[in-house]
Amino acid sequence: MNLAESVKMAVATLAANRLRSSLTMLGMIIGNASVIAMIGIGEGAQKLAAEQFESLGPNVLFVAPGNSEARGTTTDVPKTLVLADAEAIAAQVPSVKDVTPQVVSRQLVTYRNRSTNASILGTNPEFLIVRSFDVAQGRFLSDLDLKRNDRVVTLGAELATRLFGNKNPVGQPVRIKDVSFQVIGVMAAKGSVLGTNYDDYAFAPATTVANRLIGQTSPYGIEVAFISVSAKDAASVDAAQFQITNLLRLRHRITGEDDFTVRSQQDILTLVNTVTSALTIMLAAIAGISLLVGGIGIMNIMLVSVTERTQEIGLRKAIGASQSDILIQFMIEAVILSAAGGAIGTVIGIGGVLLAGAATPLQTTISPVAIALAVSVSGGIGLFFGVVPARQAAKLDPIVALRST
Amino acid sequence: MTYHQPDNPLKTQNSKLKTIPNPVIIRLEEISKIYGSGNTEVRALSEVSLLVKQGEYCAIMGASGSGKSTAMNVIGCLDRPTSGRYYLDGQDVAQMDEQALAHIRNRKIGFVFQQFHLLPQVSALENVMLPMVYASIPLPERRRRATTALQRVGLEHRLHNKPSELSGGQQQRVAIARAIVNQPVLLLADEPTGALDSRTTQEILHIFAELNTSGMTVVMVTHEAEVARCTHRIILFRDGQVVEPYLAPENLSHAIFA
Repeated sequence: MNLAESVKMAVATLAANRLRSSLTMLGMIIGNASVIAMIGIGEGAQKLAAEQFESLGPNVLFVAPGNSEARGTTTDVPKTLVLADAEAIAAQVPSVKDVTPQVVSRQLVTYRNRSTNASILGTNPEFLIVRSFDVAQGRFLSDLDLKRNDRVVTLGAELATRLFGNKNPVGQPVRIKDVSFQVIGVMAAKGSVLGTNYDDYAFAPATTVANRLIGQTSPYGIEVAFISVSAKDAASVDAAQFQITNLLRLRHRITGEDDFTVRSQQDILTLVNTVTSALTIMLAAIAGISLLVGGIGIMNIMLVSVTERTQEIGLRKAIGASQSDILIQFMIEAVILSAAGGAIGTVIGIGGVLLAGAATPLQTTISPVAIALAVSVSGGIGLFFGVVPARQAAKLDPIVALRST
Repeated sequence: MTYHQPDNPLKTQNSKLKTIPNPVIIRLEEISKIYGSGNTEVRALSEVSLLVKQGEYCAIMGASGSGKSTAMNVIGCLDRPTSGRYYLDGQDVAQMDEQALAHIRNRKIGFVFQQFHLLPQVSALENVMLPMVYASIPLPERRRRATTALQRVGLEHRLHNKPSELSGGQQQRVAIARAIVNQPVLLLADEPTGALDSRTTQEILHIFAELNTSGMTVVMVTHEAEVARCTHRIILFRDGQVVEPYLAPENLSHAIFA
C-alpha cells in the first residue's frame, strides 16, 4: 500500500467526520497561530526598542540616582542626584557636549475651565539637542528662563490640544499647581519613547519646577530624576562614562559603592534586549504549551477513533492489512490533523502579526524560522501523539475486533 | 485420528471429485488450540485433523463451545494454533508471523461475515476495491476487477451506492464480491445468513452455490440446519474435536439428535 493512497484514504476518513476533525485541529491552529504571532510581536517589540534608543542619538549617556543594585531592588531610589551635579558635569567633563537634567513632577494643569493631569518636566535648553526633540510653535526654554526662575512652559503636542483645542496656546496663561505659567511654545509630536509619551508632558525650567512646584526634596540640593548627557562623539562615549563617574564619586565623596549609575545607550540597549528576548521566549513557551495541549487533543481523539473503528480495523486486518498498514493509516491521520492544523494556524498567525504591525507602532516581523519551527513541530507532535493510538489500533486482535459491537 | 477418505458417504459429490485430481486446500494436522495455562487451561481445539479439497462446499457446525469458531479462526489465519500443522494451499501457515499471515489472508482467503463489515463511508465499489489496496494492485485494474466482482453478485447497478443505501442482502452481496475479488483459494463465511431473512438467505446461498460450481472452495460456519443442508458436506464439531468430518447433508438431523 503506497503513501499517496494512505494519505488519500486518511483525508477521506477525516473528511467524513468534519466537525470532529476541525475541532481537533483547533488546538493545533491556536497553538501555531500563537507561536508565530508571539514570536513576531516579540521580535517587533525588540526592534522598536532598539530603534527608539537609536533615535535618542548614538552618543547619549544617562546618569540616574542609585546604583544598579538599588535600582533593581527598590522603587524608592536614593535622592542623591541633584541639579548641581548636572551643572558640574557640563562644566568639568571635557568629553561631554551637552547635559540636560530632568526633574519630573505630576501636577494638575488648568487653562480656564479645562484642567488635566500632566507630567511637568523640569529641564534646560539642551534637552532639545540631547534628546532630539523639536519645537513646532513658539520657542523652547532658554538659559535666561532658568536663571530667572521664569514661570514659562512649552507644552507637548497632545497636552496642548487637550487644553486649547484648535486655539493657539502660545502667550496664553495656564495654572500648574496654582502657579500661573505662560505658554511660550508647543513641541512637535514625537510619539512615545520607551513607554514615555513626551507629547503629554509640559516642559518648564528645571529651576522653576524645583523651586515653585516641588521644593527641595533632597538634602543635597534640587533632586533630579536623571541626567541625559551627550558625548562629543562616538569615540568619547566610554571616556565620558568614566569621567562622569569619577566626577560624581568625587562630588558625592564616595569611597565605596557608587550611589548613581551611568549608562550608555549601548548598555541600556543590551539590557532592554535581554528583557525583550526573555519576554519573547516566555511568550513562545506559553504558545508552545498550547501546541502541546493541541497534541494531547489529537491523541485523545485518535484514541476515541480507534475505539470507535475497532470493527473497521478488524475487517481491514481480516482482508489483509498488516500491523504496519494499520499503524501507518492511523499515524497519517494524526499527522494530517496536526500538520493541517499547523498550516492553518500559521496562516492565522501571520495574519495576526500583520494586523498587529498595522494597528500598533510595533514593527512586526514574520520570522521564517518561527514558521518552519511551528509547522515541523506540529507535524512532529502529530507523529509523537499519534504513535500511542496507532499502536493500539495495530495491535488489535482481528478476532476480538470483528466480534466487538 | 485418521483421515476418512471421501469415498462411501458422499457418492454423488465425490464421483465428481474423483474425476479431477483436486489439490488439498485445507490440511489440518493434529491442531490444538489452548487458552490459558495450568488450572485455567481451556482446550478449544484438541488435536483436530481435517482435509478440505479444492471445489468442496462444506459447512462447519457444532454447538457453541464446540470449537467451531476457533477452528474457523485458525483456518482463516486470524489465529495461530498452539500446536499442530496447518497447510493452506500447500503452504505451512501454522507458525507464520503476523505480517506473513496478513499476506496470506489477503491473497488466499476471502472472508464473509454475519455483520457484513462494510466501511460505511465509502461506496460499494470502493469497499470491494479495499482488499486490492493491500495487495498493491494498480487503481485501474482494481476498478475493473471490483466491477466484475460486483457484476458476479448481481450488483452492477449499485456500484456507487453506500452501504446505508443498500438492503441487508445487497450489503452481504457486496461483502461476497469483496471476498472473491482477490481470487482467493478459499471463501470462508462466518454465519453469512445470520442477519438475513429467509428469502435473502436463499439469494446468498444461491450465490455461494454458483461460486462453488465455478470451482471456488467454500467453507461456511453456521448453526442453521437449513443453510447447512444446501452444502455438500458437513463437518461436525463437539468438545473441541471433529466428530463427523464427512457428514452428508441429508443425514444432518440424524447426526445432531444422535
